[in-house]
Amino acid sequence: MIDREEGYRRMKTLQIVVFVIFGLLMGRVAYIQLIDTRYKELARSNVMRREVQYPPRGEVFDRRGAYLAQSRECYDLMVVYREMDKRGFDTARLCNITGITPRRLRQKLADARVSPRAPVLVANYIPKEDKLRFDAGGFRGFYAVYRTVRHYPLSVGGNLLGYVGEVSASYLKNNPAYRAGDYVGVGGVESAYEPLLRGRKGVKILERDTHGAIKGSYMDGLYDTLPEPGRHLVSTIDARLQLLGEELMRGKVGAAVAIEPATGEILMMVSSPTYDPDDLVGRERGNNYMKLLHNKRNPMFNRAVKGKYPPGSTFKLVQGLIGLQEGVLRTTDLHPCHEGYSVGRLHVGCHSHPSPLDLSYAISTSCNAYFCYVFRDILENSKYGGVKNGYDVWRDYVLSFGFGRRLGSDFLDEGSGYVPDRELYDKRYRGSWNSLTVLSLSIGQGELGCTPLQMANLAAIIANRGYYYIPHIVKQIEGCDSLDARFYEKHYTKVDPKHFEPIVEGMWRGVHVDGTSRAARLDGYDVCGKTGTAQNPRGRDHSTFLSFAPKDHPRIAISVYVENGGFGASAALPIASLLEELYLTDTIRRPELVERIRNMQIYYPAYDR
Amino acid sequence: MTANRHGSSLFDGVDRWTVLLYLLIVAAGWLSITAASFDESAASIFSFSHFYMKQIVWIGVAWIFALFVLLLDVRFYHMFAYPAYLAGIVLLVAALLFGREVNGAKAWFEFGSFRVQPVEFAKIATALAIARLMSEYSFSITRLGDLVRIGLLICIPLGIIVLQNDTGSGIVLGSFLFVLYREGLNKWLCIPILLVVALFIASFLLSPMTLLVSLILICTGSEIAISGAVRSRIVFLAAVFLAAILLTLLLALPTHGAVDLYHALLAVSVAAAAGAGIYAYRNRLSESMIAIGIFLGSLVFLPTTDYLFESVLQPHQRERILSFLGIVNDPSGADFNVNQAKIAIGSGGLFGKGFLQGTQIKYGFVPERHTDFIFCTVGEEWGFVGTMTILVLLCLLILRLMRMGERQEEPFGRIYCYCVASILLFHVLVNIGMTVGLVPVMGIPLPFMSYGGSSLIAFTILLFIAIRLDASTRQFSFNKYRH
Repeated sequence: MIDREEGYRRMKTLQIVVFVIFGLLMGRVAYIQLIDTRYKELARSNVMRREVQYPPRGEVFDRRGAYLAQSRECYDLMVVYREMDKRGFDTARLCNITGITPRRLRQKLADARVSPRAPVLVANYIPKEDKLRFDAGGFRGFYAVYRTVRHYPLSVGGNLLGYVGEVSASYLKNNPAYRAGDYVGVGGVESAYEPLLRGRKGVKILERDTHGAIKGSYMDGLYDTLPEPGRHLVSTIDARLQLLGEELMRGKVGAAVAIEPATGEILMMVSSPTYDPDDLVGRERGNNYMKLLHNKRNPMFNRAVKGKYPPGSTFKLVQGLIGLQEGVLRTTDLHPCHEGYSVGRLHVGCHSHPSPLDLSYAISTSCNAYFCYVFRDILENSKYGGVKNGYDVWRDYVLSFGFGRRLGSDFLDEGSGYVPDRELYDKRYRGSWNSLTVLSLSIGQGELGCTPLQMANLAAIIANRGYYYIPHIVKQIEGCDSLDARFYEKHYTKVDPKHFEPIVEGMWRGVHVDGTSRAARLDGYDVCGKTGTAQNPRGRDHSTFLSFAPKDHPRIAISVYVENGGFGASAALPIASLLEELYLTDTIRRPELVERIRNMQIYYPAYDR
Repeated sequence: MTANRHGSSLFDGVDRWTVLLYLLIVAAGWLSITAASFDESAASIFSFSHFYMKQIVWIGVAWIFALFVLLLDVRFYHMFAYPAYLAGIVLLVAALLFGREVNGAKAWFEFGSFRVQPVEFAKIATALAIARLMSEYSFSITRLGDLVRIGLLICIPLGIIVLQNDTGSGIVLGSFLFVLYREGLNKWLCIPILLVVALFIASFLLSPMTLLVSLILICTGSEIAISGAVRSRIVFLAAVFLAAILLTLLLALPTHGAVDLYHALLAVSVAAAAGAGIYAYRNRLSESMIAIGIFLGSLVFLPTTDYLFESVLQPHQRERILSFLGIVNDPSGADFNVNQAKIAIGSGGLFGKGFLQGTQIKYGFVPERHTDFIFCTVGEEWGFVGTMTILVLLCLLILRLMRMGERQEEPFGRIYCYCVASILLFHVLVNIGMTVGLVPVMGIPLPFMSYGGSSLIAFTILLFIAIRLDASTRQFSFNKYRH
């Protein structure tokens, strides 16, 4: 026995023990409930299942309302490992319904096992019919998510429209708004208008119990958002023209671009060889992509906006315009041509034609010598005090025509072409060069590189007599009153519009009177055209043709470029002419020509080695 | 018969605060059980197939028991303490032999759909027996013989309960250390007992050498504290360590290293302890003998921890202990339950999600949410405000019981009240501690709150006996003043 006093002291000690124990418990509870916020998050992730609701992607129409790109309902099959039936399920049936191999299913389930709570994609692009069969199967832990898959009903415009694929890891890094498994437009219209076409994802928050069974929507859908469908686009493309263009360009490497001069709308844009954008969508994408990647003619390279070609004789039009503006050339000026232009040992050859000749005939018959004179006159203009200064002036003119720089079209990967600057020659010739050194520029050869889009734009500039609108591919966006302001702005060149008439005259004459473009004649229309035959180190000459029609109030400006196609008149011209015919008259009256061009196969040693 | 007129009233002298606290806690428990088992889709919310409707019945039955307890004469408890204890032991053994196994513990009797756990009633019987033994006039806790008697009184049912695989409930009886301390057990004996328990847990983490040295130091340290003889004990210690080192040096070479420092120290310390034991016995140093006893007992005990761990504990218990000690960490395994419990409580925040609004509870993320993990329901639905209220109520009840004990005139009543307080304290510590990750998971209920008739009735009887004993003291004193 202990005495009362000791008993009292011990009671106090025990009280302290009780207080310490309760203090510990209270402190711990306070920490968990008030300070550590982790548990709220964990509780939410226990209970909530966020289901992303994908919006249908905006569709793309041609200028007449035909579908270029459609969105088709399809489903992604997801699995949450933790919620799967632990007793197993009929894997063979699931594979059968969704069309995946048992091996792939096993592999996906192994992936899912790593993060048992996260939804993991098992199979995508499941058509609606299969999805309904899946729903009836009642596979626990699996669910289908609504997606849309792209379909290109006309199978045209591979590089023009682009395609839609899963986002790549590098894209994800730069675009935090995307999640792995999202689809994104790649190339062409699909990537240029991605933010509009994409729409906005919605989310549905569901509550589930510990077995993963859905118990209803979280907070009665208070935090749910509806997906916002992507905007529809009306493209400037004329599907018929595009179809015919691709057909005519088949078997050839090159590009053809048609623009409506009055608006800058791109009516057609063919990069050849092309591909069916449908090939790059869906389950076969991987194989098809590799096939395209290994194709030596490089079909996934959009030559129409990225190719760099010597413009050849079509560039004489620019040369003439600059000469007129600079006052070193008058329309009546005659220059001699004796099968070419010779200074000392330098000789620029030409075909035989009457000499001397004036500007309009020089254009129509595409005389090389004439434009050598003009070019030298521009560069050697005494008021600039030297060829190099003259060259700078000339280059500024050329740039004002949209060459050597990006036009600012809606193609994100637009190329700039190349117009050499003075520094290049200074470096190459150690400062000592003159107009003869760069003489090949006078006839669109040499270092000059133009994109087919820039060449078509040149056709539009001449058709407009002096200005252009930035070529663009989209005519109308659903829910928008207008396009980007830059597409409504007139861009004038540095050449006064009054100087264009003689050039146009020369182009008309080339088609209708005595020029190289006579085959481009269309009954009832005043067609203007200029052929080009560009020498190049990769084999036969490139064939190019630049044209617009009708001469007054032109409706179409076109540039066709066929690599190694020979004379301008032999490959590029008939293609351009047929396209003009279709666009202006809505019919083709020369089916035999279509047949001939379609069967025209060009040999490409540079690609097919 | 004034005493009769005033004293025979059933509620005369009943401590109203204790009853009020009891009622509040039971009510809160019932609300939590309702929240944990409410099923919106059920046909009828008043059907007796629901836990909350069944619990209403149990509460009613518990109150009938409480009235019955209050009706009995105080002398009854005194008289029947030993028979009740014996009956309790018999029931425990019977459950061990013929009982039904639930959750791995063979600790249940089944009558139709009604299941009783005899351990609940064994706790009451043991508390009564302890009170009876320690209140004997000749009992002195400083005497070795009495200490052994009280130790046996506690350890016999504890052993049987552990054999039933109901380790959690068994350890509850260990909480009587609280009572022994109040009744004069030398604090230098309490400390080594607690330390040895800590060592048992630590034995999974420490090397045998570290364990042995700490054991020697703990036991010698407490013996020094009791006897006050510092110098001789330090000489003793130094001699033991020196002898061990010498022995190692001498024997290491001839035995080719078979004898290392650990084995040498083990041998020397056992020999030294045996010698010291004989010395202490001759000189009647009973407390020194206990220190030596603890040392030798632990030496037997500690090497068997691995055996105990593997054979006595259930696999899930092993996992829980290992996970608690941080040796294995597997969020989806043993940790899962505790983690989910913490998530439920933590997600309640300050004010909670509201009655029947707890998603973790409602959707079944918390295991055993209406029984052992009932505190999670409180935490999630009533938030910090709710958990604090419950903790304060329980704390007040325990302090009130200690206060009731202190005001008893008879040691029997005081000791019994402390027994009740210690049982409740241990239950609260372990039950709430496990839901917040302070204590390894042991399946013991939260008093008065967890679902289950047998537990509620047993706790009610346990508490109301204390109230009855207290009431008689007060009745008596009221009557005394009245005369």
